[in-house]
Parts: sequence; C-alpha cells; structure tokens
Amino acid sequence: MITASATKVITGNHAVSYGVLLSRVQVISAYPITPQTQVVELLSEFVASGKMAARFITVESEHSAMAACIGAASVGARTFTATSSQGLALMHEMLHWASGARLPIVMANINRALAPPWSIWTDQTDSLAQRDTGWMQIYVETSQEALDSIILGFKVSERVLLPTMVVLDAFLLSHTAEPVEIYDQGRVDEFLPPFSAPYRLKPGVPQALGGLADPGVYFEFRVKLQEAMEKAREAILEEGKRFAKLFGRFYGLVQEEFMEDAEMVIVTAGAMAGTARAAVRELRNEGRKVGLVRIRVFRPFPFVELRQILGGRKKVAVLDRNLSLGHHGIFYEEVKSALYPMAARPLVVGYVLGLGGRDVRPEDIQAIVDDLEMREEAPEIVWWGVKR
Amino acid sequence: MGSDSMQDLPDAPLSWGDTRWNKTGNWRHMRPEVRERAAPCAKACPLGNPIPKVMTAVSRGDLEEAARLLLERNPFPAITGRVCPHPCEVGCNRRRYDEPLAIRSIERLVGDWIQEHRTVYFPSETGKRVAIVGSGPAGLAAASYLRRQGHRVVVYDRNDRVGGMLVDAIPSYRLPRSVVEREARALEQMGVVFQLGVTIGRDVSVEQLLSSYDAVLVATGAHGERRMGIPGEEHFLGGLEFLRAVRRGERKPPGRRVAVVGGGNVAIDVARTLVRLGASPVILYRRTRKEMPAIEEEVERAEADGVEFQFLTLPTSAVKLDGYLRLVVVRMQLGERDRTGRPRPVPIPGSEFELECDAAIRAIGEVAETEFLPREVLDDQGWVVADKFTGATKRAGLFVAGDLVTGPATVVEAIAAGLRAGRAIDRFVRGEALPVQEKPLPTVPLKEINLDYFPRASRVSIPELPLAARCKTFDEEILGLDLNSARGEAARCFSCGSCNLCANCWIFCPDAAIHLDGDLPWVNLEYCKGCGVCATECPRGVITMKEELAREGAVA
Amino acid sequence: MRTGTLLWAGLEVPQEEYLHPGHLACQGCGAALAMRLVLKAVGGDVMVVLPACCWTIIDGPFPYHALRVPLLHTAFETAAAAAAGVKAGLEVLGDTRTQVIAWAGDGGTFDIGLQALSGAAERNEDILYICYDNEAYMNTGIQRSSATPLGAWTTTTPEAHPEDRPKKDLMAIMAAHRIPYAATATVAFPDDLIRKARKAKGIRGTRLLHILAPCPPGWRMESERMIKVSRLAVATGAFPLFEVEEGTRYTLTYRPAGLPLKEYLKLQGRFAHLTEDQIAVLEKQVEARWKELLELHARTHGTVEDIPVVPFGG
Repeated sequence: MITASATKVITGNHAVSYGVLLSRVQVISAYPITPQTQVVELLSEFVASGKMAARFITVESEHSAMAACIGAASVGARTFTATSSQGLALMHEMLHWASGARLPIVMANINRALAPPWSIWTDQTDSLAQRDTGWMQIYVETSQEALDSIILGFKVSERVLLPTMVVLDAFLLSHTAEPVEIYDQGRVDEFLPPFSAPYRLKPGVPQALGGLADPGVYFEFRVKLQEAMEKAREAILEEGKRFAKLFGRFYGLVQEEFMEDAEMVIVTAGAMAGTARAAVRELRNEGRKVGLVRIRVFRPFPFVELRQILGGRKKVAVLDRNLSLGHHGIFYEEVKSALYPMAARPLVVGYVLGLGGRDVRPEDIQAIVDDLEMREEAPEIVWWGVKR
Repeated sequence: MGSDSMQDLPDAPLSWGDTRWNKTGNWRHMRPEVRERAAPCAKACPLGNPIPKVMTAVSRGDLEEAARLLLERNPFPAITGRVCPHPCEVGCNRRRYDEPLAIRSIERLVGDWIQEHRTVYFPSETGKRVAIVGSGPAGLAAASYLRRQGHRVVVYDRNDRVGGMLVDAIPSYRLPRSVVEREARALEQMGVVFQLGVTIGRDVSVEQLLSSYDAVLVATGAHGERRMGIPGEEHFLGGLEFLRAVRRGERKPPGRRVAVVGGGNVAIDVARTLVRLGASPVILYRRTRKEMPAIEEEVERAEADGVEFQFLTLPTSAVKLDGYLRLVVVRMQLGERDRTGRPRPVPIPGSEFELECDAAIRAIGEVAETEFLPREVLDDQGWVVADKFTGATKRAGLFVAGDLVTGPATVVEAIAAGLRAGRAIDRFVRGEALPVQEKPLPTVPLKEINLDYFPRASRVSIPELPLAARCKTFDEEILGLDLNSARGEAARCFSCGSCNLCANCWIFCPDAAIHLDGDLPWVNLEYCKGCGVCATECPRGVITMKEELAREGAVA
Repeated sequence: MRTGTLLWAGLEVPQEEYLHPGHLACQGCGAALAMRLVLKAVGGDVMVVLPACCWTIIDGPFPYHALRVPLLHTAFETAAAAAAGVKAGLEVLGDTRTQVIAWAGDGGTFDIGLQALSGAAERNEDILYICYDNEAYMNTGIQRSSATPLGAWTTTTPEAHPEDRPKKDLMAIMAAHRIPYAATATVAFPDDLIRKARKAKGIRGTRLLHILAPCPPGWRMESERMIKVSRLAVATGAFPLFEVEEGTRYTLTYRPAGLPLKEYLKLQGRFAHLTEDQIAVLEKQVEARWKELLELHARTHGTVEDIPVVPFGG
C-alpha cells in the first residue's frame, strides 16, 4: 500500500494503472492490445504481488472483458478494464449493456486509429464512435490527469450509476513519461470509499437484472439514463471540487486558458491541447487575442459551459483528430450544435487533422489561427495537413 | 406494466416481482384429469382386491400397509394366496406384455405375514346377533365381516372342525390345515363363537335360528355328490367322500389303478391325491382338456404328477370282477354348444371299450343340499332363490351365500359371496336399506400404460417342492416367496389406474403446477398450460387429458 | 412453499421449487423443465447468468422474474465470460459459497458463445455452465444452429435442403479443454440429470452440463411428447448420456436400448421429410458415434460391460 505521496516519472499508461491501484478496484478483466498493454501489465504485477486485492481475469477478447466486468459489477464489485481501438469496437455491444444495467465500470481507452489499413497511432474516432453507448467520456491531457481521472471516474460513476471511459492518446500520452504525483492510499480512500451498490444482484435475493422490457417501460429507462447523464455534469463539478480540496488539482468539464479578451478560440481535446497551448502562448506573446478551450468531458457534453465561454467571441476553430465519415469532425459537430441556440454565435470552423497519429506541431496550430482569422464563412471541413 | 411512471421505476432494470401474477391456466385447451380407474386384475378379482396398491406397498417392503389394504377386501389372504385360481393374473395387463405378475404368491406372503403379526381387533358391540350356518369360506368371510362391525356372531357347523371344504375337501398339499386353523382361531379371538357338531335341520331348525337371531346366513355349500345313473354305480366311490377320508388320515389307496370320472376340481384333487397315495389314477372326462372346468394350473400339475387323462370318454357301466372293476366306456365327440356355452359331448355309437381298474371314483359334480331350508326360499326344483348380490331371500332376515346358491365354485367366489351377504346383513340388522351393486369403474387397458417405464422382466420363479418329492407327500407343494423376491416381483406391477405416487407427473411438469401432497396428484389449474406431459408420462393411466370446457368469452 | 423431498426412481428430490409457475415458456417446454430440475439439484445458493435465449423470454418481462434465485441477463455471446465476472465479483466480496450458473441455449453455446466458453473453460473459471440444447434458434423462430442434427428441418434449412452437417461435437470440444467435469443429460432422466448436476456442484473449476431439452414447436411435435422424445433420444442412441472427467476419463451412463433411430425421428415433424436412405445414413452416424464413445469408455474403465442398459420398456 502506498502510504505516502510520491512523484514518479511514469507513462500515461502506468498513471492509469496507479489510478486503478489507488481506487482499490476489485475485479479487472482485460485483453491486450497495443498501445494499452502497459496498463494491464502493471496491473497484473500489482495483483500478482498482492499490492492489489483484486481478481484479474485474463479473458480471451475485449468483448468478454467487458462481459466479465458487467458480471462482476452486477454483484457490486468495483471493476476496471482497459482497451483501445479495435478492442473498443469489439466491446461496443457490451458498452450499451454496462450503462443500461447502470453499472459504474471504469475503463481506460487509449485512442488509436481503426483499421484498415492497420494503424496503432492516435486517433479519437474509436472512442467518439462510442458516444451513444451511455458512457461518460473523459479526454485527458496529461499522465497526472489520467491517474486523477480514474479515481474521479469511479467517484462520479458510482454516484450517478453510469460507466466512465477515460481516454488517452496513443503514444503521445500513453507512452510518454511525465512526473506524476502518486497519492497516498489514505487520502484516496477518504475521497473514494468502498462501493455500496444501490442496485445489485444479491445471493438469496431473487431479482433479475436487465430482463425483457416491453414498449410500456423501455422508454422510461432510457429517459432515466439521460437524466443520469445530466446529473453527471453537476456530479463531475462537485466531485472535482472535493478532489481539488484533497489533492490540489481541479478538473471540470472544460478547461479554458487565455480567454479573458480572446476573440479567436481554439477548441480541442486530449493531448493536442498541450500542443495548442504552446502555440496559443506564443501567439499571445505576439499580442494576438487567441484563447484555448479544452473539452475534457465529452459525455455528458458541456453545452452550458461552451455557450458561456464561447458566447460573444468572434471566431472558433475546432480541432478534430477524428472524423465522422459523411459528416464532419465530431467535436466540431457537437460544438456547433451547442452554440446554435445562441442569438450571437461566433463563426465556428472545423479543422480535421492528425488522423492516424499524423504529427500536429505548434506551427500547425498557429497556421490554423492565421487561417481562421482570414475566414468570413465556415466551409464544411478544413482538412489540415493532407498531402494533396 | 405500461402504466408505470418514471418515479415508480428503479434506476436499474432490476425485477421486483415474480411470474405468479401470470395465470397461464388460460393458455390451456386441454385439461389434465386425475382419476383413478380399475386395474384389470382387481376387476377380475371376485373380491376386488386393491392389487395395485398392495403391490406398491409390497414393492416398498411395507407389509403392514399391504396387509391393511388387502384386509379391506379379503379377510383370508393366507387362504386365497394358496388356493385362488387367480383370475387377477389372467387379467393382469403385464400378461399381454411379458408375463403376468405372481399376484397370488405375493398375496400369500402378505397373508402369512398377517397370520404371524395379527393383532386382535375388538370392535364396539352393536348388540345385534347373527347366526351363520356353515363354516366354509363363505360363512367364515361373513363371520369375519359381521364381527368386525360389532355384531355377535355364532357360526354353526355340522362338522367337528371349522373350515368346511377348506379342511375337508381341498387336499393339504394345496392348503395346509394349519392355515385355516389359524384363521379360525383369530376369529374366535375376535369373539366369533363356533358351535360345531350341530346340524341345522336336525338339531336346530332354521326357524329356531330366525327367531333367536336378528339375521341368519346359510352358507352350507354343495356337498351332495351327483350320480352318473349307470349300472354298477354302487362300485364307485364319491370324490368328496374320498377326499374327506384322506384329510382325516386315510392313507391307503382304494386300489393301484383307479379310474376317476369327471373334469372338475374335485376330480383333479382326487387324482392328485391318489398319486400321493401311490396309486395310478386315470381321469375319464367326456369332453376335451379345453373344456375342463378344473383350475387350469391344477390340471397342468396333475399332468406333471403323471395322472393319465382319457378325454372324450364316459363310463356307461361298471361290473365288479374278482378284485377289480371292469368299466365299459364309450367314446364321445363334441356336438353343439349347450346352455353353458360348452360343446355338448355326444357318444359315438359302437365306440365302447373296456377299462379295467382296481377302483373307481366319481367326481362329476356337487349339488347343494337345501331340504332343511324353509320352502318359501326354494323354487320348484328345490334350488335356493336369493338376490344374486346380497344373498337376501324372500324370508326377511334369512340370507344365503356360497356354493349353496351357486353350486360348486371357487374358494374366492365363496368368500366374495360371504362378504356381500355380510354387508347386506349388517345393513339389515341396522334397519338400513340393503346395498346395491356399484357400477364398476372403467378399467385401464394395456394401451394406456406407458410401457417406456417398464422394461420387460420375467415373472419371479415361485419355489416349490421338486416334482419327485411332491408326489410322495401331502406337505404343501408350492412354497412361499421371500420378501426380496416378492418386492422385486411387486415392483413389476404397472399399477394400472392406481396412483402409486411415482411422482412422474410432478417431476416432469415444466410449469411446476403439479403437487403431491395427498394420495393423488393435484394439478394447479391456475397455471397448468395443458401441455399433456403429465398424462403421457403417467405410466398407469391415472391422468388423462380432457377437452377444456369452453370458457366465458372463448369460442366453443 | 413445500419442503421435504419426494422419491423419484429411488432418488430423493426436493419439493422446494426454484421455478415459479406463470413463466412464459411454451407448453411442454424442455428448457423450462431443465431449469426446474437443475435448480432442484443444486439448490438456492446460486446466481444464474443468462445470455439471449428462449429463457430470456421465459423468465418473464420486467418487473417479473420466474426464478427464486438472482439472475443476470446478458448478451448472447457472453454467458461464460459474464459468469466468470460474477464469480470473481462474489469472491472478492467474500462470497465463496454461491454457485454461478451460466445458463445458455445451443446458439449461445455452440455458436456465438463458444469463444467465451472456450476462454472460461481454458482458464478453468469456477462456473457451472449449462447448455440447454433444443438444437436450433428456437426463440427467433427455429433457425439452424451448429447443434442442429443432420437431416433436420429448420426455417433456414428447409425441406428442399435440410441440415447437411452433423451436430457439432460440443463434448469433444469441452473435453479438449480438460475441464474437470462435463456431462450430457436430458429431461426424461431426471434422476441422472440431478445426480450429474449435484456432482458438478461438488467440483470446483469449469463444469459443463449439456442438456438435451426438447422443443415441441421447434421439433414439430405435440407438447405431450416432450419427455417421450427425450427418452427416445437416449434409448435410440441419438443423444448418448455420458460424463467426461478431466477431459480424458469417459463414463457412459447408459447403453441404448437397441431401438431403431426411426422410433426417435418419427415423433418429430422436423425429420418427417427424410427418406429411408437418409435415415440409414443417420443411423450409421449414430452407430459410429456410439462406437467412438464405447472406445473412450473402455479406455477409461478397461471394459464396456459395466454400462447399464437404459431403463426403457416400450
């Protein structure tokens, strides 16, 4: 047990593992996939060495990984899995099952592009494709945030009875070592007490979970899921504040920087926010009124916050390392739709870039700001960095 | 559940009720009906013994229960277990499948168990008095029944021992005297009074009995021996007379080669007795083997004993020569059927032949002696006239039963008649209406037995004395089954129409809608979907599917 | 609630019911009966994990439930994995007593759930996996599965082109996983079924019961024949009853009664189209399968003389 806080230089993957350790997860079920493997390797060591009092089920597929988590969670155990890309896609059916059964499972998904052609590099389409499964989605920027978001994930999930997906960029975050504060167990226990599930299957209690619902009742259960998602916004903020009190770090739904007088705003998520920050800082130094918004929580979507932050700005560039084929970058769609009810909407331009791990440098971001400044209208998609 | 509003629902789709709300009985268009029916064995039994239930008890090794069940219908299973021609085994459905159950041997085991474990039954007294004339099977059965109802019972017999034909005619290798004596003693212990050596009609009149008792049962049997009406008949011994002498200790045969005339049970008993006395009997019978009225099994045993049979023969005269008899015998052929349905034997003219023998015994039938009875209960020919079921005669309080009425029949038929008369007398002395014959239950034919449950299995082999030994002794020739063999044999019983709580219906019900709390399964019709599995899997035809009556609102 | 036991064929069977009436199974449903019998055998300290199958419907719509034990509904292909999760969850919460039963149909076992089953079996998860086999996708309307026997009609193997592959040998697959216990059973022999379920209950690790559960509508037969056909499946050798321990030790439960296969087939409309020649092919297949099993039994026991003949009259 970790009795004193210590700062270690670790990868994002290992930060996830530590977050799981500190959350006292009881059942882990996972299947290896690059670039997630380090997460489960370290967890296996924790379990094997007795550092974690957990069962690690080395299932034969991601689908079974999620099924086993569902099984364990349905009797009240705290459960975790980690996957990526193809693995997440294979889990898809069971993602619906986990949320529909109101099971507070937490998983880490390492963003990786979907095949074919094969790619192991970062791309948010895998997780964003799961946006309608009823999972909360947290896009983290740093290894510290990865660790913290696992703990926070359990806290919020167990409060609103919805599962949480903590999303990290392949390699950029998963395999990049950074200093991470690993908290002492006592403080984490204080924040995250053992889970007492209000709805669970109990031996000797003849109840069935998830049975056939006729058209007279299914609808209401879906509405309840949506209500839970809406409650989650508040829960995330409240628990974030509590977490900040104990650990000194606050995480909300969105993170805004350089926004006081910003006329143009870069909106992005995940590790790209770090790149964007460097670029924006540079532009600010040049005296340009540019701000940065990182969408941390994608589900539930922070409509209200975005309206408040982006209302009255001149122009917004949404950077998407993902693509909803046949439509647009997914953050772009969502941001636009969030702003639509506003009377004075900024010009919102969607930039799709960096798919399949294509490098995005601060210079790209600066160039995008230049591009944005020139635009008076939004084209459908601005492809950035495509070799024509 | 379409009316549930959001706030009534839990957050998670976790059930809170069970399916018992769903009365699936309304899916049903066929309804299982649980109804016991008669087994063909029981239907064939003159006593209506509850054979399947007895077999079930024996198969479980519960002889006490078997005894209780058997005694409800048969007071003397130790006797019928030996001498009954077991029509039950003929009726047995298993006969048409593999081999009939050895019902008689099992009855005997139970009967012997009763004789060893009997407890004296003291009924509460009614104060009514019944006289029974004749201590044969009919009289004893009535005595047993009436005493159990609490009436004072006095049994008169002209003999000095109880049992009538049971001890006087039936040879001891078939029915040891001790078996009858034990029954007599048990009746005495229960309070039945025997007045032996009293001849009604000579020492006391029927009228006297009628005036001193509330009711009188006459069951004096058929002891008069029919005569052949041929020249030289005086050289013939009577069959019953011969048997009676042997049972009283006579061991010298009337000769070496002895002609026995007749084809009934007395003829066979005489012939087999002769074999045991060292003689060589030859049976002369005017019809063929097929028409012999004797118990088939006894005929077979006689054949095995070495008794010679000359069928289609009839002595027409006898002359006594120097130390031997010469019979003139005519050969017969079968003609048209007579009233009894048997073909009439017709002499073949000119077929006479001579048969020499040391002695001859006639056993061509027995008739009742009725002259001591009041005229009003007799017909023109002197036969007793009585109700076939109750034995009631024209004369109030006078009942008759057994061979006296029917002519020579079997022990079991006499017992049955005695019991019927006993029941009628019980009603009579209580001033109640006499019983009427109940409509028999429908029987279960073999095709309604689910044979899947009954692998073919051969009948138990019944121990008996070896052939060579049995012909030299009057010891009982058929021996008893041991309990284990009896249990195994009883377990072969299909228990046709009689629920033995095999629990098939219960265990196979996919709807958990059958319960076994009592003697019969109970179908919960609220839930029974009418699949019919219970009826199909009832091995014994107790459950059948019936068309569901049209429900309200349903299309008939 | 009734307690105590009733004697069936010499076996004490609890009267206590874990299956409520009012469930939604069709008339004469073998799957409903199989559940009733298995729960009687193993008792109430169980948790059932149920993938998509007939039983999803049988259990009753929300908020109702047909069993007196808890049940987790899960997706079609996940019975074994979800059951492993339930077991792990219970164990980490300190409950080592509750039996976890994965209860799946043939589709969820032979087909879509085979991967998860293989995974769980290979890891020797401590679950009792029960496949109630009605030999096709009955809940969806009688489509063929890999458990559908050769020659059978289904809506996806119409009479013009009936099932042309033999039934998948699930038991051989499970034996190859070297799980501690696997056995076949059927509802017509509840004593055998209950004994096997109890034996399985007493073993740790992955245990599998493959229960033939006749489906009157799917097999095109009268509901009252459900037990009869189940019995004939064994008596004719169409569905041999046996146990496999540690994947290698084979014990045949019964020797068939020497009845022609036709006796089994003729009760079922799904085989009505078969010609005599086709039946002969099926017979050969049944014989070959039996021979194979006899060899496995002989290898284990050194003899085949100890296999009792199936209790069957007829």
